[in-house]
Amino acid sequence: MTCEDEGNHYGFTLSDELIMIRNQVRRFMREEVKPIEDKLPHDATHCSPEDEARLRGVAEDMGLGRLNVPPEYGGQDNDCLIRCIVNEEASKCRLGGYRPALGAIRRGPPNVIWRGTDEQIHKYGIPCVEGDMTGYMAITEPTGGSDPRNNIQTRAVKKGDKWILNGRKMWITYAGDSDWGVLFARSKESENGRPPEITAFIIEPSFPGISFEKIPVIRPLYPYEIVLEDCEVPEENVLGEIGGGFGMAEHWLVAGRMPYAAGCIGMAQEALDMACGWVKQRDSQRGILADKQAIQWMIADSEVELQAARMLVYEAAAMSDRGENAKVHASVCKLFGTETAFRVVDRAIQMFGGMGVAQEMPLERWLRELRIKRIGEGPSEVHRMVIARNKLKNTDGGVYFG
Amino acid sequence: MKVLVPVKRVIDYNVKVRVKSDGTGVETANVKMSMNPFDEIGIEAALRLKEAGSAEEVIAVSIGVAQCQETIRTALAMGADRGVLVETEEGAEPLAVAKILKAIIEKEGPEIVILGKQAIDDDSNQTGQMLSALLGWSQATFASNIELGDGTADITREVDGGLETIKVKLPVVVTTDLRLNEPRYASLPNIMKAKKKPIDKMSPADLGVDMTPRLKTLSVVEPSKREGGVKVESVEELVEKLRNEAKVI
Repeated sequence: MTCEDEGNHYGFTLSDELIMIRNQVRRFMREEVKPIEDKLPHDATHCSPEDEARLRGVAEDMGLGRLNVPPEYGGQDNDCLIRCIVNEEASKCRLGGYRPALGAIRRGPPNVIWRGTDEQIHKYGIPCVEGDMTGYMAITEPTGGSDPRNNIQTRAVKKGDKWILNGRKMWITYAGDSDWGVLFARSKESENGRPPEITAFIIEPSFPGISFEKIPVIRPLYPYEIVLEDCEVPEENVLGEIGGGFGMAEHWLVAGRMPYAAGCIGMAQEALDMACGWVKQRDSQRGILADKQAIQWMIADSEVELQAARMLVYEAAAMSDRGENAKVHASVCKLFGTETAFRVVDRAIQMFGGMGVAQEMPLERWLRELRIKRIGEGPSEVHRMVIARNKLKNTDGGVYFG
Repeated sequence: MKVLVPVKRVIDYNVKVRVKSDGTGVETANVKMSMNPFDEIGIEAALRLKEAGSAEEVIAVSIGVAQCQETIRTALAMGADRGVLVETEEGAEPLAVAKILKAIIEKEGPEIVILGKQAIDDDSNQTGQMLSALLGWSQATFASNIELGDGTADITREVDGGLETIKVKLPVVVTTDLRLNEPRYASLPNIMKAKKKPIDKMSPADLGVDMTPRLKTLSVVEPSKREGGVKVESVEELVEKLRNEAKVI
């Protein structure tokens, strides 16, 4: 990434290395992923285990198996921009919304696990990198997820050498299909005006008192509700400090937003590119669709908005890689990336007409996925709130209203 | 033993090529460029020789505009050890390229040179053959398999009607066919490492090569557009059209 040269800001130019990585992922998508995907039903949530294993093998050889993993465990530091570049390309498939490259590129464990004890890292973290273990994060509850500190009603009470958890979690993707999860619960009520304490626990599906229920939603991959009824969690499964859960939840949430936005931009870019191919061959009254101003404006607006969205992602990712606090920039790119992507796919469907909503095309599926993306990982309105508060806090009237 | 692989920067094979409006050539402005796919096969073949212990060093050479450096970087990211860039104007002709390669080969002393059988932009299929003639080396074109022996190589060639295996003496100029191998992906760590590998830069004048063009392009035109088909009413009509219009029966 070159964004500064001798202290002068020249805007963003991706380094040759990042462009090469992007080209490699594009080739991988075209040559390895697409032929497998072509054989899957429209709403498939995964490919066969054999195909996934083969794809993973190739992705592993490409060095894409350890993204978002610290250097001690075979990954590298500060790879947020790399993850964004990879995720944008890997999301350009029908399952791209949540299984980039059909699962070839591992999700990796939730990054908070690397803040655990050596024992926790070896038991839960490393098997997600070396083996087939998977993990998830459980923050949101029926009372909401936008204000975790106050929304979290699940209670954790210490009894002997165990913690007893009671409560419910909602909309937790992958929960019922994973080997473990990091679940956040209130371990101390608010007192004397101080906010309640939140603690993170590593939970396994085999723990007594835990159950999972699928919640059917607009997309084929259903999230889960988790019910905890006197669920017993061993003391050694507390992740991080008791009462230190909120900071950890935020660490995970912020780091995920840039690649999340990048993936949405990938799907939308592909939708726009598909639409360009279509309008150049579609006859309409007096000429082809591509000659109509109504179509050209949709294409121009979409292209401009996608370029802008991508720059916002790069900027936030580069900040994060430099070790700066990228929280507000992450909200900016998540808000604009997901909203833009939805709008662009919607326009692409409009350009395709009836074919746009046909299951022969990935477009209607992407639209459904992208509808969720405007809610998941913090709804647009919450990010606007973060951005507005920050702006108001730091801005007092400019030069003319000082 | 050193293996030298020339790599050409060409329009990416997924790009739809367009002829310039003045008919002097094809449009390359803002067009994605990448390594000629046959040269990628050449790099892969060289890397496999190195991995098998038959070669010590793989050198990637590109001849052309300054951006050919990106093509060399791709070869380095795949695993080549170092690069040589000979900067020229666009459109060096096969004979000039072969002469430049000869000069580099005399400096570097490789025993095997692996070229693509042709570049997908001009489809000349000449450079490898010219190079072996200029060097007076053995030549094995359209290779689909390479087996190294003691001072010799058994090369399987894809010829009309089947496969032909020839034994050649080293040093040899090999040109690759599509089925020689499937080139690897450049891995993330190797892409990062490629930055540190050296690329020597030189000009044709440094090598004493005369680049004067011997060929003149008269015009470049797009292939004629395919005309839409028609539906026929009956088998008789179909047969009539096949016989009198298409003249195929």
